[in-house]
Amino acid sequence: MNRRNSKVLRGLTRLFFRLWQMRRVLLLVVPYFVLLGWLFVGGGRMDVRPAELYGIPDEPAWESPDAAHWFGTTGNGADLFELSRLAMATSVSVAVVAVSFGIALALLLSMLFVFDPGNRRFELVRVIGQTGFLLPSVVVLVILTGGTGGSLGVAILGLILVIAFHLCPVLADWFQEGESGFDVVAGYVLGLSRREIVMNRILPKILRRLIGVFATYVPVVVLVEMTLSFLGLTGDRLSCGAMIAYGQGLIIEAPWMSIYPGLMATFVVLVLAVLGWRVSAALRTGPLPRLF
Amino acid sequence: MARIVLQRLLVSLIRYAAAGIALILLIEFSFCVIGGSDRHVWKPISYGPVPPELSARPVSWAGLLEDRVRVSLPVLVLCVPGILLIGYSWGLLGARLRRFHGARILAAPFSLFACVPGFWFVVLVAIYSYFHWRRPGFANDLVVERGPDLLTWWHAAIVALPALAAGAAWQIRAVSTVLEKEVTRPYLRGLFMAGYSDEDIFYRNAFRRALPALFALSDRTLSSVAGSLICLEYAFRYPGLGSLFVESVKLGSYGGVLLSGMAIAAFLSFAVFLSEVVVKLIRPEGAGG
Repeated sequence: MNRRNSKVLRGLTRLFFRLWQMRRVLLLVVPYFVLLGWLFVGGGRMDVRPAELYGIPDEPAWESPDAAHWFGTTGNGADLFELSRLAMATSVSVAVVAVSFGIALALLLSMLFVFDPGNRRFELVRVIGQTGFLLPSVVVLVILTGGTGGSLGVAILGLILVIAFHLCPVLADWFQEGESGFDVVAGYVLGLSRREIVMNRILPKILRRLIGVFATYVPVVVLVEMTLSFLGLTGDRLSCGAMIAYGQGLIIEAPWMSIYPGLMATFVVLVLAVLGWRVSAALRTGPLPRLF
Repeated sequence: MARIVLQRLLVSLIRYAAAGIALILLIEFSFCVIGGSDRHVWKPISYGPVPPELSARPVSWAGLLEDRVRVSLPVLVLCVPGILLIGYSWGLLGARLRRFHGARILAAPFSLFACVPGFWFVVLVAIYSYFHWRRPGFANDLVVERGPDLLTWWHAAIVALPALAAGAAWQIRAVSTVLEKEVTRPYLRGLFMAGYSDEDIFYRNAFRRALPALFALSDRTLSSVAGSLICLEYAFRYPGLGSLFVESVKLGSYGGVLLSGMAIAAFLSFAVFLSEVVVKLIRPEGAGG
């Protein structure tokens, strides 16, 4: 007797196969959740200021690293491990926001050119990109944040602009590469409009690669945010860069104050970089230009 | 050849001028529009003489630039050739050993080191130097007055190392990617079927045909290296061009910002010019492949 599976069962089977196809990417999501969950636990104390923490009271209560305080304590007795963790949470948040908006802006700018049928439609993007290469991104960010007196908002704005600027030519290349595919040529032969081909054939492939771009650039932007805060250009906010900069003044009395925040930063960046590499490999993002 | 050189020179000059205009606009936008300063970038009074914070002795802007460039040169001499040497040789080896993921394995140590914040690394060196060698750790603490000045090269190496690691990691991967893409072309399968050896196919065919693309990569990482050196020099208190740039921005000295920014742009512009000329000479216009 022929019995057909129910619609629900068929849907579940299809969902299972779909998830199975994406198993590599899904497996990578778990470590991300673990890392971010660990970083963001106890985020209520995010308003601590490094200038207050690293100030030297009349009777300093700092302690070198021990079993109770893995990274030691600051002059007023605050646990450096917890502070470093919160600082990294700030840096990662900044990086996630900046990279997301940077990618979105780059995509928006590329879409301004992509519907143009001309062969040289991306020429302007490429010429501007080649000229902008002469001003390193760090130069732009330092002037932008330094000129405004140093604030996190301007730093994020600068990061978004820099990411969008460098990503636009890459997206232009990807759009052109996508248009040479067999399915796109077939679409043209069948009489599909340019809009339909771009929106339904080329864009989905590029959107998939953008997840890899996001994962690759987040650790890089974390490093840049820390560098800007080390230079004192992101305001008086908790960041490992600022903590190391303040700790420099206490190298003789309390060297752990500049050593251990850097260790935490290295660990988090390393984990994010390894995950980013795996995500970009799983989604076949391809080589990306160096931003910073 | 002269036509190609002059043509690329003209393009480089135009790009350099555009970068200069962009830098001026950026200063005006940051300091005046957002920052609220009333010192506009086009007013000569906004520049003035060299502030005493930027130089211990009285010096002109040109003299200051000369001093700082001279100090930064050893860093560039160690960093840029190091990146190119390691990037190309290891990238080539990585592509040759592509079956064993050679490029990834060879770039891994540099990539790992690139995850270490560079400014923290130089601070660590300073701390180590203080506690273990009993001498001030930062670059501006000690000056050699007699004998060979090895300390200058030590300081330059400390500043150059983090930038070199990040640059070399990227260069190895980029070189290897270009070569690996070349070896997947159909004509190489034909050569293999015709009985050519692996070495012949890789070095005499794929490598030779990929040369223009490989040369085009030579300047791709320099912009990021220059950016890294700005932060590293400041963090290690190394009195070079990067330190001048950060100190000038913090002081709000337009002269220092423009001078150091344009010097960095000139260095990059020259590197791009050289790279473009070499690529044009290797691959004449109209030649495919």
